[in-house]
Parts: sequence; C-alpha cells; structure tokens
Amino acid sequence: MDAEAAKELGKLLGAGLSMGLGAVGPGVGLGIMIGKALESIARQPEVAGDVRTNMFIGIGVTEAVALYAFVVALILIFVA
Amino acid sequence: MKHPWRWIIGLLVLGFLILLAILPGGEEMEFEVAGEFERHVLIELPTIGPFDMSITKTVAYLFVAVAVIVVFTIVVARSLRMKPGRFQYAMEAMYELARDGIVGSVMKSGKATWFPFIGAVFFFILASNLIGLLPLPFGEHYQPAFYAATANLNVTLMLALCTFVFTHYAGIRKNGAFHYVKAWAPSGAPPVLKQVIWFIHVVSEIFRLISLSVRLFANMVAGHAILAVFFAMALIFQSYLVGLALQGASVLIYMFELFVAFIQAFIFAILSAVYIGGALDQDH
Repeated sequence: MDAEAAKELGKLLGAGLSMGLGAVGPGVGLGIMIGKALESIARQPEVAGDVRTNMFIGIGVTEAVALYAFVVALILIFVA
Repeated sequence: MKHPWRWIIGLLVLGFLILLAILPGGEEMEFEVAGEFERHVLIELPTIGPFDMSITKTVAYLFVAVAVIVVFTIVVARSLRMKPGRFQYAMEAMYELARDGIVGSVMKSGKATWFPFIGAVFFFILASNLIGLLPLPFGEHYQPAFYAATANLNVTLMLALCTFVFTHYAGIRKNGAFHYVKAWAPSGAPPVLKQVIWFIHVVSEIFRLISLSVRLFANMVAGHAILAVFFAMALIFQSYLVGLALQGASVLIYMFELFVAFIQAFIFAILSAVYIGGALDQDH
C-alpha cells in the first residue's frame, strides 16, 4: 500500500471510529437521563413542566458530546 | 377463502414491486454531498478591510429568515383579535413558550430585561432552521439548493458570541466586575483549591461558547447530510424500488428534522437563559 492510500484509509477509518465510538457514551447517557425524567414525571405528574425543562437542558449538554465526535469526523474527512 | 380480494391486491402490489425492481433506473448522475454545504457567491461585492461583503448562499438564507420573521410578526400584530384565529393562536403559543417556558421557568431576576434577547434568538434560530428545510433558489447559478443558515459555523458562532458577551455584561452590570469574577470560585474553599476551581470555571466559560455554537451547527449539518445521502443513494442504486423505499424513509427523516429544528432553537434559547440567569444570580 502506498503512502497516499494509507493516509486516505486512516482518515476514513478514524472518522468512522470517532463517530461510532463517540456516539456510545451520549447514547447511554441520554437513555438513562430521559428514562429517569419519565420515571419522575410518572411518579409526580405535577412537576412535569419543571422536569421537562431541565431534561431538555440536560439533553442539550449531553448530546453535544456526540456532536463533537461528528465534527471531528467531518474534520478528518474534509479538512485533514 | 373469506377475502379473495385481499390476495388479489397483495399479488398486484407484489407484481408492482417486482416490476419496479427490474425496470432500469434513471440515468447515471454525479452527486457530491459535501457540495451542498459550499458557499456560492450570489452577488459579488467589494471587500472592506478584512470583511468580504459578498452575498453568499448563507447570507441569502439569513435575509430570508429575517424577512419571514418580520412579515409574520407584522401580519399578526396588524390583525390582533380578542378571539384569535389559527395563525394568531400559533404565534401566541410560540411567544408564550419563549416568555413563560424558557425565560420564565429558568431565570429568577431580570426576566423583562433579557426576554427580548432570548426571544429574538429563539425566533431567529427557529425561522432559519425551518427555512433550511425548504429548497430555495440560492444554489450555484440560482439553482434550487438545500441549505440552512445555521448549518454554517460562522452564523452559530456569532449567535453564541452574542450570548457569551451578554452573559458577562449582565453579570458585571448587576454584581460589579470584581464581585462577578470573584464569585466564580466558592468563597469557603481553601486557598489553592480555590484558584484551581476558578481556573476550571474560566475554561468552562470558554467551552460553553464552543458547545453552544457547535451543537446547533452539527445538528443542522448532520440532518441535512443524512437527507442528502438519502437523495444520493437513489442516484447510486438507480432502481425504482430502492427509490420508492428511500422516498418513504426520507419523509420520516424529514419529519424528524422538523422536530430537531424546533428542539435546537429551544435548547439554544434555554441554555442562553440558563447562562444569563446564572450570571445574574450567582449562588456563592
């Protein structure tokens, strides 16, 4: 394999791996968080509004981690 | 057999699908997904200092978003009625969400001062995200293009910078510069730990800027890229059967993108409210 092909292979492999592995953690985190939020809404429906607002804040913060991986993948493919 | 017509319809559908599968597809075409995110210059304008003033695709989408917001709000404000129609009710619901759902539920003080900024950010991002789902003739040579102004890091970084600057402006104006900066570390902490916590807080303030802008940018790019990949797959497979399946799947993804467009505007606005509220009412 020549150097050019190896570089291309490394880029694409790295991009795929970064997105795939980077999505694992946030996926687990989002699942736990939304599950807990639904649990607490089911237990205390009167605080549903507050829980939902805070859940969305948490979703935004957690999801950002996966999106960093996405940006890294984009950078690897198109910029690096 | 009870329902012979069911079998007939089923066989007809099966035959139709087989026919679609064996029919030769459309002609071969080149389609570059990354090309959808290039910024074509629509109107060439001179460069003033370091700023290129040319009207690009992104700028055109920004103009359209602003025009949509202005027209919608003027139309609603001109025809306010006590018994609201469908359109007025929708706008009132969005306004109420921004006022009570975002600012009212997150901020403790300074609600009236900071609602205009957060409401404007919410409506602007919502409008640009939703307009991004419509094909508009702003592509190369005024071809219909599929793009969103918020799928550009420059736009989202500028919006996040607004939040960043306003956060610290609000905190300094309310608490005074010295007290504001001092309260970044808890007052009860031991000396060396206090400096470390203060430094970590400074880093987190900068990372807020990055996460706020990259979140919106990456969400919009990812959504548009998935839709573009689905369109491109129809060109790669060149089969009517695959085209039909992709059409159904892309409709579902499009509906999900409508949801994402709304959720991202909501999250950006609510995080801005959280940051500004945190700077106003410091807890240590």
